[in-house]
Parts: sequence; structure tokens; C-alpha cells
Amino acid sequence: MPEPKDIRSGLVCVGLNYKTTPVEVRERLAFPEAKVPDAVQEVRGLPGFEECVVLSTCNRVELYATHALPTGDHGHAALRDYLVTRFELQPEHAEALVLYNLDSAEAARHLFRVVSGLDSMVLGETEIFGQVKAAYKVALDTGTTSRSLNKLFQQAFTVGKKVRNETTIQRGSTSVGSVAVDLAEKVHDLKECRVMLVGAGEMSRTCAQSLLSRGAKSIIVSNRSYDKAVELAAEMKGTAMKFDEWEHALHEVDVIISSTSAPHFVIKPEQIDQVMRKRRWEPLLIIDIAVPRDVDPAVNDIEGVYLYDIDALQAIADDGRRERMRQLASCERIIEEQLEKYGFLKPGGGLVPA
Amino acid sequence: MPPSQQLLLAATLIFVGAVVHALLALKAGAWKRARAQFSLMALGFVLQTGFIYLRGEEVRQCPIRSLSDILVFIAWSIVLLYFLLGSSFRLSLLGLFTAPLVTLMQVMAFLSGFAPYPPKGPINALVELHIALALISYAAFALACITGVMYLVQERMLKRHRIGGLFYQLPPIQGLAQAIQRLVRLGLLLLSIALGISFALHLPMTKTGHVVFAWIVWALYAVISLLMWKHFTSPRKTAWLAVIGFILPFISLWIVTHA
Repeated sequence: MPEPKDIRSGLVCVGLNYKTTPVEVRERLAFPEAKVPDAVQEVRGLPGFEECVVLSTCNRVELYATHALPTGDHGHAALRDYLVTRFELQPEHAEALVLYNLDSAEAARHLFRVVSGLDSMVLGETEIFGQVKAAYKVALDTGTTSRSLNKLFQQAFTVGKKVRNETTIQRGSTSVGSVAVDLAEKVHDLKECRVMLVGAGEMSRTCAQSLLSRGAKSIIVSNRSYDKAVELAAEMKGTAMKFDEWEHALHEVDVIISSTSAPHFVIKPEQIDQVMRKRRWEPLLIIDIAVPRDVDPAVNDIEGVYLYDIDALQAIADDGRRERMRQLASCERIIEEQLEKYGFLKPGGGLVPA
Repeated sequence: MPPSQQLLLAATLIFVGAVVHALLALKAGAWKRARAQFSLMALGFVLQTGFIYLRGEEVRQCPIRSLSDILVFIAWSIVLLYFLLGSSFRLSLLGLFTAPLVTLMQVMAFLSGFAPYPPKGPINALVELHIALALISYAAFALACITGVMYLVQERMLKRHRIGGLFYQLPPIQGLAQAIQRLVRLGLLLLSIALGISFALHLPMTKTGHVVFAWIVWALYAVISLLMWKHFTSPRKTAWLAVIGFILPFISLWIVTHA
């Protein structure tokens, strides 16, 4: 089998992501983690193919490969056929399948953008960097990468780090859950952080899960329906508490997430004032997600108490998204510079002929 | 300008550079680039050390007997403690807040002038240790003051929901409150040892102005430390005490050196 002369001439990427394909199709085409080593070997075994990396996450399935076929279109067609056959798609599904077909510089640019988090649902998120690394490692361990893809992926990781280090694309929170985590981190050491949920709404569950995933120490769930509190506490490996008892545990927690459906304030300044004395002024973060609000805004005037309602959280998340959008142009510029440096683009930006 | 002062001038410029660099990096939102600030602080420290060595050679004794030399020695101790304690207390940005104070102290040292010393008397190691420990304790109080400023800045941003660039770089507010307490305790411990030595030296309190002021400073920080220990005040008030409390030892320097 002839080797590709240059990575630019033999590199292809075929894929689908959350922008091109709805989740009900994506889930059908996702490679289970344990099957990825087989998949990379299957692709490498296709006629004319030399190397392969398969990236399969909840938001994307992408095949990166090098080949020695006459044109890139032949490579795209072969990979599309592989996906259709591998996932046994019905003809109507196969016909409706929307894939992006990229070659050489376009494929490299796409990979650089993916690694940098610019192609992610949450702009600038960093989890994808680890996912690409893991995908590459599987291919490397399986022996389906060689000089070209090794070089390309190493370049991609360098670009990803450069984008992260030289811009603030990953900084700031873009969702209410991540704002809650950021705030908790700036008030306490998260590993020592005890969380209480007052009310078990969906949003408070999301916030609590974000805190737990980042290392929060423990969680107490209190809800008018005790059964629901027990269910949620079990799910989060926490403790359930009857709704008429939550006040007694206030001094033991560092973060309160409140989301009851009460039509009046549930947490009042006089309660928190007493709690702060008991807590010996240890700082207390209160996140009020309820509408109408659960926490009297006057609580924020108490020393050591930091109160954020849903509007405040949303405003911070909006700022975070805007800040990331502002950084996008700088990130794209870095990627274009790196494409030029690695020989995918001519000085000035034109494509290097394959 | 003697070589010692040339080194000090270079150190001062380096610290100014560290502040400017850090502010620009923060403004650009690229704090990671400001890691160079650590190197600048280290370079400044080396130059400060060079100054103290050369100045010691010039005056043929430990250079801690004039206002300007005392200011430089405290500035040097502040940077030393920053390196020793900053990372263990996980106080990111401490350098950014430390550099301006160090710069200010060194500028004041230049303005005071480096007068020649009186003829050297016999060196008493205990006296030198007493003075050095007292000055290092002042440096610990200075760092407590700086950490107090950091606390108040972070606290204000949290209260007012100003979640900006500086917010993400500053340590958790709880960690800052703990660091203030530790630094005050460290300063108090060092000053207690220094004052304990003064007993061994039989220094007459009524005739030795700096010992009287050292006792006043000790009493002030003992009260602050007690308030912290017994949780009589909120961390915010404690931070204010640490900030305002440092003004007294700072002013006492003038009184002591001009007495």
C-alpha cells in the first residue's frame, strides 16, 4: 500500500456533531468506549487507508484518517460507507445522514478548533481537550496512528494549550450551574464545602450536581415532600431532612441552594443573623433560584453572607458567554497562525496545494 | 551613586515593572502570562539582597540602624515572607499586592537618604537578633495588611456581584481570612521573641524609644489576635484591623528612628 507523500494530501476528516445532527441520530452513531479500538482498526483496514483516530463523544463522532486514495472525495465516501455499514443504517437514514467532509488544511483547522473548544456546544469548554487526548491515546495504543496523525495530533494539543494560555476563552461561567461552582470556590475550599438544598427543583439539582462533581464535601436535601428529598439525597449520596428541620442545620452548611415554590420569603435576615453568630462568621453563600424569591434580599447585608438570586446568576453567565465570544477572534487568529506555521496554509492564509 | 544604591534602584524599578506587568496581564485577562511576575519578584529580591550586603560592607555592620535601611530591610523581609508563605497559603496575586508596598518603602528609603553611620561599636549578636526579629515581625504584619486588602477587595466583589478578571484570580475569601490570622500570629510570635531578647539585654524601657513602641505594637496585635481567636469580630472587621493596624508600626518607624 503506497504511503501518503504528505499529510496535507492524505488527511481527511468525516464527522457529525450537535450542529449537524440531532441527538437521536448521534446516539445511534456513537461508538461505545470499549468498541473504539475495534473501530480504529476497522477504518485502517479499509482499502487505501493508513492511519485512523476515532473521536466519539456525546456531542460528536469524527473519524480522522490518512489515505492514499486518488482524491479526498474517495476517502470521504469510504468513511461514510463505513459508518453506514458499521451502524447498519437503513437506506432512508443513510440518505438523510448529514456529515461534514474535510480534507488537509480544513481537517487540520477543524481538529485545532475542536481541541481548543471552539467547536463545542459551550464555547471554550476544556473537557473536549481530554476527550481528544483519550481518543488519540486509544488509536496510539492500538497502533493505528503513525507519523502523520501523530504529528497532527501533537500539533493540535500544542494549539489547544496555546489558545487556552494566550486567551481567556475558558474563563468565566456560562451556565447557572457553573456560576454557582465559581462562586462557591471563591468563598470556600470546595473540598470542605457542605451544601444544603432547600427545595428540590431541577435547577437546584443541577447546581448541586455541579458542586458535587467539583468536590463538594457533603449535601443535605430538604423538601416539602420528604420522599422526594430522600430520592434526591440518595441520588447524590447525601442526607435527606424534613422540611420543618432545615433551619436547625443552617449553621452546619457553607452553601445553601434554595428553590422552593413558596409565595413568600423562606429565609429571612433574622434567621441568618443568628446562624452567622453560631457559625463564628464563617462565610455563607446563598443561591436563590426560586421565583418568587425564597430569600429576603436584606440577607445580603449581613456580614459574611453572599446572596445571589437567579437574575444575578444569569447576568454573570451572560457576561461569561459574551466574554468568551469576544475572545473568539483571538483564538481563530492563533489557529490560523499555527496552520501557517505547520505548513497547512501559505503565508497570508491561502491553502497550500495538496 | 554608590553601587549599593544602584542595586536598590534597580530592585525598585524591577518591582515597579512587576506591578505594571501584572496589571497589564490582568487587564488583558491573561493572568497566566503574569507568571513572569514571580520571576520579576525573585530578581528584585536578589537585587535587594545585594543592596543589603553592599550596604553592610559600607557601614561595617548590619544595616538596620537608619530609617532608610530599616525600610529596605522590612521591604526585603516582606518579599522573603511572600516567597516563603505565599505559595503555602495559596495566596495567588499576593505578589501583585506586595510589589506596590515594597516599591513605596524603597522610594521612601531613597527620599530619606542613606546617611553614614556613627563609628562601629562592639557587635552584640543578641542586639542584632532583637532588631532583625522585630523588623521581620513588622514584615509579617505588612503581609497581613496586604492580605487584608485582598480580602476586602474580594469581599466587595462578592457582595456587589462584580465578577470580573480580578475575582477569578484572587483566593477564596475564607482562605484569605485564615491567612490574615496566621500572619498576625507569626508577626506576634516573632515580636514576642524580639521583646523577650530585650529583657535579656536589660534594655531600659524608658530610655529606649523603639522598645516602648515595639511593646505598643505588640499590645495592639495581641488584642487583634485575641479578637480573631475568640471570633469576637467578623472576618471583614478583622481584615480592616489588619490593614489599619499596620499603620501604627509603620508610623512608629519614623518616631523611633528620629527619637
